[in-house]
Amino acid sequence: MTRSSEPTMSAESIDEVTEPTGDGSGLGEQNAASRTTTEGTIHDITSEWGEILEDASGDDKVVINFGPSHPSSHGVLRLALEMDGETITQARPVVGYLHTGIEKNCEYRTWTQGTTFVTRMDYLAPLHNATAYCMAVEKLLGIEIPRRAQLIRVLLLEIDRIGSHLTTLGAGAMEMGALTGMTISMREREEVLHLEEHLTGLRMNHAFIRPGGVAQDLPEDYDGVVKKFIAVLDKRLPQFDQLLTGQPIWRNRLAGVGYLPVDACLALGVTGPILRSAGLAWDLRVVEPYLGYDEFEFEVPTSNAADSFARYLLRVEEMHQSLRIIRQCLAKLEPGPVMVEDPKIAWPAQLSIGPDGMGNSLEHVRKIMGQSMESLIHHFKLVTEGFVVPAGQAYVPVESPRGELGYHLVSDGGTRPMRVHVREPSFVNLQSLPAMSEGALIADAIAALGSIDPVMGGCDR
Amino acid sequence: MTPEQLREDLLGWFGPAATAEIGHGQLTVDVEPDAWLDALTHARDALDCAFFDWLTAVDELDAGIRIVAHVYSPSRRHGLLLRTMLPAADPALPSAVGVYLGANWHERETHEMFGVRFDGHPNLIPLLLPDSFDGNPLRKDFVLASRVAKQWPGEVDPGQSVGDLRPKRRRNLPPGVPDPATWGPDASSASGP
Repeated sequence: MTRSSEPTMSAESIDEVTEPTGDGSGLGEQNAASRTTTEGTIHDITSEWGEILEDASGDDKVVINFGPSHPSSHGVLRLALEMDGETITQARPVVGYLHTGIEKNCEYRTWTQGTTFVTRMDYLAPLHNATAYCMAVEKLLGIEIPRRAQLIRVLLLEIDRIGSHLTTLGAGAMEMGALTGMTISMREREEVLHLEEHLTGLRMNHAFIRPGGVAQDLPEDYDGVVKKFIAVLDKRLPQFDQLLTGQPIWRNRLAGVGYLPVDACLALGVTGPILRSAGLAWDLRVVEPYLGYDEFEFEVPTSNAADSFARYLLRVEEMHQSLRIIRQCLAKLEPGPVMVEDPKIAWPAQLSIGPDGMGNSLEHVRKIMGQSMESLIHHFKLVTEGFVVPAGQAYVPVESPRGELGYHLVSDGGTRPMRVHVREPSFVNLQSLPAMSEGALIADAIAALGSIDPVMGGCDR
Repeated sequence: MTPEQLREDLLGWFGPAATAEIGHGQLTVDVEPDAWLDALTHARDALDCAFFDWLTAVDELDAGIRIVAHVYSPSRRHGLLLRTMLPAADPALPSAVGVYLGANWHERETHEMFGVRFDGHPNLIPLLLPDSFDGNPLRKDFVLASRVAKQWPGEVDPGQSVGDLRPKRRRNLPPGVPDPATWGPDASSASGP
């Protein structure tokens, strides 16, 4: 094609497009009817839109894919929603995007190394995972951990519960559009993570709780730091009541939404705040006390509303109760060992905190390197091969922020687990989403999902 | 009921087909696969175990695939671990979804992870694994190759060959992992393909 012929071609095509077909307005009559008024031409687009709507809103149902990466999907969760107009007729959660094979990986590691894996599942309640896992290992070993280790675990669990509930409220508030609720929750959660870092050395993925006790003792100034934390939260937790509890939008979005009665909860295996919101005061800390929870005074808040708003209120109240337990914990803590004394299980180093903030007892290193070849061999074998757990099976549940979190461990008498099965509350509770959201609007499904509070890392494992 | 009373009740009901033991304060009842649904129904109706806790499987190598389910009674505060053993070659069991709705996802997970078929399940498709995934990852014959074959901590010095790092004595392998002489990088060529 020659260069000179191009303008001719273009002019022709423009003519075709702009050729007037009706009243000369440039818009074809086939697109929209229009009438001329003194103010100008008015195009009537509603008639056509009505036809489109009629076509679309007949008996045909529309399937909407929601997620897996959506700001309101509460994690990497995908929902396949079948819609009849604005109403959800069928909801199907699609999970597995965060499946990492942790249960399988645990079979290839020693019993102690398992704690590293399990803290990475439910990343909002890592200490609960580590505790349940270690308690199951301890049950198989038939050992009782020292009292101070028990109290340290309780202290950490309750701090963890507060952190988890704060994140739940934050994520739930953000999904509802209450962004300030999110920002204050996250600010408070940062306090929790700072405290956990101070007490255990890490903000997340602690692996601080080990079979036989805890990895090391609390830092010397723990008492003051925890008390400061309590004072901060005592002041700030009421902010949720001021900002959200009485707020009409928050209340209207959540009240009466995500209804699940108690018999449905039991048949589906749903636990935690959802079950308690349906009226059953089911909290494993009370009904099957572990770690000496029966010594503590606290209340298990319940409600009969069985809706998302009730679950929100329960979570706020549970944080206050956790602070109560933490206070009692500080009063009960007395000096003592934090690990069982069995040399076949506990790592031999009686760790002292060095200037680097980590336990690295020079005295111990000097002893095993210079004086006792036998302890060196023993230390090496215990760390690389791990200890032997007698053959058997054990199931230990604890009350995690999301409900019953249990570990079913099977040992064949070796240094590695034969099977690690996690009864994950997120996994089980998520099964109730169809029951909560079918027949409701998408906006209600989001509210219900936020009140279930699934942590997908735990659900998919 | 205490685990002991529960044990008597169950043994009386099942007769010789079941065995029961109490370990770590937990009642465990073993039944034949044929009696699986009957046992769950009995637990739900006669023992008030309305709460379905969980269901999973354990690959016990030559013994077969063991299915484990935990049910609990919140009103009477007792629970039991119900187990049954299936052959590893073609494990199949009637689905418990009709008895406990909550068994749905647990059975789907057990199906994809262990290859157990749950007859009568309404929707037995993969749950956590992608559709294209091949194999049943929690079976012992599904070896996590990277964890077994790879040397740890790897090559420490430049120029050092992997052969120098081989441990002098046989390593303690996880259950179900084949002997390194017949499988993996050390397998003799005679037994390889």
